[in-house]
Amino acid sequence: MSRFFRGGSDSETDDDDEIISSNEEEESEDDHISSSEDEATSKPAAGAGGRSKFLKDAVSDSDESDLDEKREVKSAKDKKLDALESSVKTIENAKKINDWVAIQNEFEKLNKIVSKSFGSIGMPRVYIKTIASLEDFLNEALQKEKEAKKKINATQAKALNSMKNKIKKIVRQFEDEVEKWRQNPVETEEEDNEDGDIEKSSPIEKDDSLQSTDALDDEGFEQVGKGNRPIEYTSDNLFKKLREILEARGKKNTDRLEQIKILQKLLGVAATSYQQVRVLLALIPAQFDYNPSMSNYMNVDMWKSTQKEINQLLTILESTPSFMIHDHVEEEEEDKEPVIEPGQTFGIRGSIVSFIDRLDDEFTKSLQNIDPHTTDYVDRLKDETELYATIVRGQIYFEQNDLNESTSRVVMRRLEHLYYKPDQVIQTVENTVSQSLPSNLKSSITPPAITQDSSDLIHALCVYLYKKGESLLRTRAMLCHIYHHALHNRFYIARDMLLMSHLQDNIQLSDVGTQILHNRTMVQVGLCAFREGMIKESQSCLQEICGTGRVKELLAQGLQLQKYSQLPPEQEKLDRQRQLPFHMHINLELLECAYLTCSMLLEIPAMAAAGSNPEARKKVISKPFRRMLDYNERQVFSGPPENTRDHIMGAAKALAAGEWQKCQELISAIKIWDLMPETQKIKEMLNRKIQEEGLRTYLFTYSSYYTTLGLEQLSTMFSLPINTVTSIVSKMIWNEELAASLDQINNVVVLHRVEHTKVQQLALMFAEKATSFVEANERTLEQKQAVGQNQRDQHRQKGQTSQQQNTEKRTMYQKRDGQQQRGRNNFNNVLGNSVRGRTQQNRYRS
Amino acid sequence: MAATYDLTPKLIPYLDRHLVFPLLEFLSMHKIYPEIDLLKAKYELLAKTNMVDFISMLYKTIHDTEEVPNEFSTKRDEVLQTLENLQSEAQKVLDIIENPEVISALRQDKLQNLNFLKEKYGLTDKMLNTLYQFGQFQYNCGNYGGASDMLYHFRVLSTDHELNVSALWGKLASDILDSNWDGALEEVQKLKETIDQKNFTSPLHQLQQRTWFIHWSIFVFFNHPKGRDNIIDVFFTPSYINTIQTACPWILRYLTTAVVTNKRKKSILKDLVKIIQQESYEYRDPITEFIESLYVKFDFEGAQHKLKECEKVLSNDFFLVATLPEFVENARYLISETYCRIHLKIDISGLSQTLNLDQEAGEKWIVNLIRDTRVDAKIDFKENTVIMNQNHTSIYQQVIERTRGLSFRSQILSSTIEKREAHQSASTAEAVE
Repeated sequence: MSRFFRGGSDSETDDDDEIISSNEEEESEDDHISSSEDEATSKPAAGAGGRSKFLKDAVSDSDESDLDEKREVKSAKDKKLDALESSVKTIENAKKINDWVAIQNEFEKLNKIVSKSFGSIGMPRVYIKTIASLEDFLNEALQKEKEAKKKINATQAKALNSMKNKIKKIVRQFEDEVEKWRQNPVETEEEDNEDGDIEKSSPIEKDDSLQSTDALDDEGFEQVGKGNRPIEYTSDNLFKKLREILEARGKKNTDRLEQIKILQKLLGVAATSYQQVRVLLALIPAQFDYNPSMSNYMNVDMWKSTQKEINQLLTILESTPSFMIHDHVEEEEEDKEPVIEPGQTFGIRGSIVSFIDRLDDEFTKSLQNIDPHTTDYVDRLKDETELYATIVRGQIYFEQNDLNESTSRVVMRRLEHLYYKPDQVIQTVENTVSQSLPSNLKSSITPPAITQDSSDLIHALCVYLYKKGESLLRTRAMLCHIYHHALHNRFYIARDMLLMSHLQDNIQLSDVGTQILHNRTMVQVGLCAFREGMIKESQSCLQEICGTGRVKELLAQGLQLQKYSQLPPEQEKLDRQRQLPFHMHINLELLECAYLTCSMLLEIPAMAAAGSNPEARKKVISKPFRRMLDYNERQVFSGPPENTRDHIMGAAKALAAGEWQKCQELISAIKIWDLMPETQKIKEMLNRKIQEEGLRTYLFTYSSYYTTLGLEQLSTMFSLPINTVTSIVSKMIWNEELAASLDQINNVVVLHRVEHTKVQQLALMFAEKATSFVEANERTLEQKQAVGQNQRDQHRQKGQTSQQQNTEKRTMYQKRDGQQQRGRNNFNNVLGNSVRGRTQQNRYRS
Repeated sequence: MAATYDLTPKLIPYLDRHLVFPLLEFLSMHKIYPEIDLLKAKYELLAKTNMVDFISMLYKTIHDTEEVPNEFSTKRDEVLQTLENLQSEAQKVLDIIENPEVISALRQDKLQNLNFLKEKYGLTDKMLNTLYQFGQFQYNCGNYGGASDMLYHFRVLSTDHELNVSALWGKLASDILDSNWDGALEEVQKLKETIDQKNFTSPLHQLQQRTWFIHWSIFVFFNHPKGRDNIIDVFFTPSYINTIQTACPWILRYLTTAVVTNKRKKSILKDLVKIIQQESYEYRDPITEFIESLYVKFDFEGAQHKLKECEKVLSNDFFLVATLPEFVENARYLISETYCRIHLKIDISGLSQTLNLDQEAGEKWIVNLIRDTRVDAKIDFKENTVIMNQNHTSIYQQVIERTRGLSFRSQILSSTIEKREAHQSASTAEAVE
């Protein structure tokens, strides 16, 4: 925007003011005063510049050269006056519409300007006048409000009140001047004019230093535009402007948007690549800083332009390898073009990796905030490819310049964009990216041959992080790698990696984000086991997360409403920030369905085996499943199943009753299976499992009613091959689950179940209780001894205790030594431990 | 089929050149691979050793010529030269050591001995190290007995830890190749202690050492009469079973064979089944599959098939060929034991078939089984069946079983309490004083 038009429009509004105010004159006397004041002030306030404005007014749109000349001599003081003037004007405008909020804001700004710039010189007349008129206006307004008894709205009233106080204070401060002015407005006006003249004649250079800093603060863009447009093109000025902006950055009343605009303009005029780099290094963070609040996300358009600028920056850096951007540059850069000797690199302070990080974070944030069921979300998601391209490009740049730390960070980012995606998506993205990148860019970590196969790609990225990354990145990379394996049904590999890395031992100590990733990984491993038909493994993986009833929270896929406790708002905010964008979610219904199905297949035979034995019945495999089943059984009428849970509960009841076909039907009717790849195969697997578990349940439940059972009959009953039936029965006999044996001649199962008499049963129970009694005694004694030992230890001498510590250390070392080996044997115990940790933490937190 | 289950390629990377040689010899005997390939492999294997004569002979066979490149003769001369040099130097040390006076003066403490020798006989560290070098050189030449001796002397005297460990490995290899199994077994124990106690910089290094150890020790375990017990003891310790699972799952074959052929270690079978199940996706061969089908699937027919395959695999395995009859015998025993536990009435002909025996031999087998293991069973000759007697433990027996230890435990409990009270009163008395 040129100064010219701006000036023009200013004067126009001036005119308008006069017209309006003259209209108002008729209405009230006070108004008359104020408007005439306004008119009067505007003249002297402009000072030298003001005069030129008047000139301009006179000639209206006179020729530019004339104006330009005039503009050259504008002093800093004038500029301040300009600012004042504009504030005053706004106040006047606001007065007319009784907008007290606006008045208050503008008044505050006015005060600031005045106290900052005029404290030493003395109060300008305009200011005094404004105060005086405002006071009058205020009094009048208060009067009016009382009379009219018409309520003005709350914010306005509040603003009015605070204005009242402020004005009172200010008026008291400048009591003399105000009084003087009230007595003789015209005289002071003249004085002012004289002042202006004097000011004008005083040397201009004196103020120049002020101009650059203060003026910018006060007015942002307007000031810069005024004097410097013609000389912006010289490189000297560019650096100067840049520095000014950098200094103004982060200050309270810096207009961020203006800054961005200036920087963009500077970028347009930057001549050399060095200048471009410097401007970009200022512009990109400025855009990131535009939005000060943590919860809001960056404007999409601005995000896109930032993304382009980062790309531009990378392009420049790629083409001029003599520039190196890193954060270890010691000395402050000179504001001039550096002389680069061939073969040497010139360091520039900055951090591209933080730009990329921030860009990625902003992207995630925007996805978190956009409603995932709208097309906006999909549109936004499409930008991911470009973002990914930038990340890859950054990675290549860091690689080529041996910036190891940055490379690992950016590789991690890349990995986090990939690990949860199916192969085709990764492939498409990779292809697009490799096409969009300049052909001379080759990565050594991920050569193009590798990017063709998603598993290879992820493997390469992870291996890089294992070698180079710090421990947190290693952990995360490991989790991503496991997740990816699990996604591709490589259960054993995923399991081995999980156990060999001993991730679960200390995942509780890591940050919440990593814990969430860990939970996601566990769930995915569980689902993988489910797809592979490993029911038991699947159940043990999913147990810890699904059993808590806080699945959403543990996977960061939505906030769980707390019934009794209210989360503190900061906590809730943090939780909100951790939420995963919708496209990364694991389908919770499918998860629950898989978990409950597993639980059913394990729990129903176990319940049947426990029979009427109350002790055995207490052993619960899956609490949520039991709870649901109990609830379901308590219902008087149960309708046809509607949702997934109903289906599974119905199936469980059917299975318990030996009606495996009905169970199969119900399970197959669940629609959510369609979300799993190879649905048919999974259903077949489930059907088979149901048959087997049905057979087991049947044997447990009804064995006491038979002396013999024909194997063939069993085989037809459960439509299983006779070999399988034999094998299942044999296994049950071997494991002493079933008191029976096989008769090979007649092909029957002979059952030996012996019913105990009451006395026998009681005797057994008594024996058991006696045993537990002795055990309890032993435990108590042990505890007491331990306590006694501690007490005694305190009495001991120091040397002895230190010795003990030594032995403790040694045992600890041994433990650690043992841990370094893999403890795959206690697979079921280990899996999911850490999840418990996280839950506890949460519980504690809430 | 023999080639698919041949483990030699997997074993070779973890063995020393010289240790590989017997394996290749064995392979060429069984004609699993083409003869010429094996010869070439042998040549490659030994080209870097000092067994020049043998190499040149191999060269002749491979290339089917009588002419031998010059390099062999030069190398031969070199080797002989070095050998002489080393021998003369080592002789000095040996002279000192073998002096009866010296022997009587030596004590337990290595450092003291060394100082004593240094002072009296002018023995230097360098001279000692020649012993090591000479041992190594002899080993390279194929003179394993000599190498073993040299390394033994070196180990007695030297205090250098690294070289000592290295000498330990060398001596183990020498003893193995020299078929000195008693000595080798001793070395195995020593080496195991060293590996377990040493502080390795990285766990990976330790893992590697253990892997090597496992491979080398198989030589000993399957040749020494007591080896079969030892292999189970050693390999089932957590750190070694972990090593096997992590680095060399194929060792499970040897472990399984050892467990199956060992009558006394039946209790370990359950652990073995668990491990085999866990590793089944990474390693399987007829031997592990046999165990799997018997104890996981309870598929007796499958087990019988696998047993047949096992025979073939075992007969082609360098280490296991000697255990073949024993293995088959014990495997049958396992099958029938499991079978009897599950079944009430067994058709003898069916069982004989499962055991891979003909009718008559099967009957004999069962009779022996009943006699030997006191399986509670009778043969119904008329119907040609075996009837197992079910033995229920009666309730009163169960109760006795459960409560047996209780009174003893309670006694201990009360005595501890008494002791504690006495102690407390004593201490309070002290405090009063």
